[in-house]
Amino acid sequence: MIERGRSPLDVLDTYRQEAGLSHGELWLRYFELGGMSTGFDVEAFLYGMLAPSDHDHDVIAQALNERFKELGGDHPVPYATV
Amino acid sequence: MSVTKGSPDFGAVTNFEDGEATIALRGTMTQGAAFVLEAILDAAIDRQPASMVLDVAELDFLGVAELLTISNAEKRLAISGVTLTLRSPSALVNRLLGIMELAEVSRRERALPEHGHLGPEQLGDRGALSERFASSLSAEDLRRVTALPADPDVIDGALRLIVELARISIGGADGVSVSLLRHGVLSTVAASDQTIMAMDADQYSTGQGPCVDASITGHWFHAESLDTETRWPAFTPQARGLGIKAILSSPLRVFDKPVGALNVYSRKAESFEVKDQESAAVFARQASVILSDSRADVSDTQMAFRFQEALRSRKVISLAEGVIMEREGIDEEDAFSALLRLALSEGVPLRERAEAMVLSAKQPELGPEWELDD
Repeated sequence: MIERGRSPLDVLDTYRQEAGLSHGELWLRYFELGGMSTGFDVEAFLYGMLAPSDHDHDVIAQALNERFKELGGDHPVPYATV
Repeated sequence: MSVTKGSPDFGAVTNFEDGEATIALRGTMTQGAAFVLEAILDAAIDRQPASMVLDVAELDFLGVAELLTISNAEKRLAISGVTLTLRSPSALVNRLLGIMELAEVSRRERALPEHGHLGPEQLGDRGALSERFASSLSAEDLRRVTALPADPDVIDGALRLIVELARISIGGADGVSVSLLRHGVLSTVAASDQTIMAMDADQYSTGQGPCVDASITGHWFHAESLDTETRWPAFTPQARGLGIKAILSSPLRVFDKPVGALNVYSRKAESFEVKDQESAAVFARQASVILSDSRADVSDTQMAFRFQEALRSRKVISLAEGVIMEREGIDEEDAFSALLRLALSEGVPLRERAEAMVLSAKQPELGPEWELDD
């Protein structure tokens, strides 16, 4: 939606911005789905500064996709294991 | 050498060293600060620096005119091959830049009426600026992103910016406002003019209207033509009396609870096309993000409730994973993937699927009603 001139690694954070979620709110949704990493780590995953495990990636992807669904969208964020 | 300028609300300090001009801005820059900022930037540019840095670490807020001033300075510098770098933008300043880009994407070919000298041409290309903005973000800045301002004045300022940008960006918009529920009372925190203020006030006093309904239900309301509108009999004649013919109210949400609405008014019936409705939804989402980030409207009780809900959700998902682990002989992470596949194939949220699985496991006489995909 918005071209922000970022590296491909930042792609998860771009989804977060499009989903209109703050970092705190996304973390809470991630935690809600059983995520075990701290908010600090999740932020690092979003910006591509740390590589998430496939499991962590999928929990974040699902948290984002459920938000997109609430907003009437599809499931735009790809999964690692599904 | 250093020069200090500014009103009590904001300040700027310019330093020249080895051909690099560094201008540190602090405080809140709105309503007329653009002229001062322009003068400061011009003075620095006149000294022909080899590079220029705008340090915005201490800057709390920037209005539209100030953002445009920076953008114009960047263009002037670019002509002589000089780079303008923004250093340490706060999360809010970063967000404002993001909103500017958004307006840029959906903007129609219209001038800014409040700033007569700034036509569409001057609004120009913001891509280069934002790219530099992104690339000037360091790891340390990212660590600070979570520290957000909760000052209601700053929040209201950001909402005013959204109102201003929404009005120039959304086709058919003659006025825009943001209503917010604060302490259970709905009021207008930002409006493009007095007529719009009056219109919102009429909705609050009659307890009717798209803005009230959107704020309370969290749904979207579109009155295409007030001439034929029947949903709000007490309010509609008052709006017509003020010359309004169409209203579009998009809900604002914080933690998925409705907290207000972004209202777009038009003097012409049926003036909001699908793309205008989409733009309004995008601005409403941005406003929601600002409110969520700032926690401006979320009490400790609501936070505690939300956290309790999150713990419940974790528990039920963990129980469902346990059921799958036992039946399939797989580990926890694989069980999560299996549960995720089930939720996706049925198009339901993960928690809902987990609840169903735990229920079915509790009633084994009904047999497992689930199957794992391969």
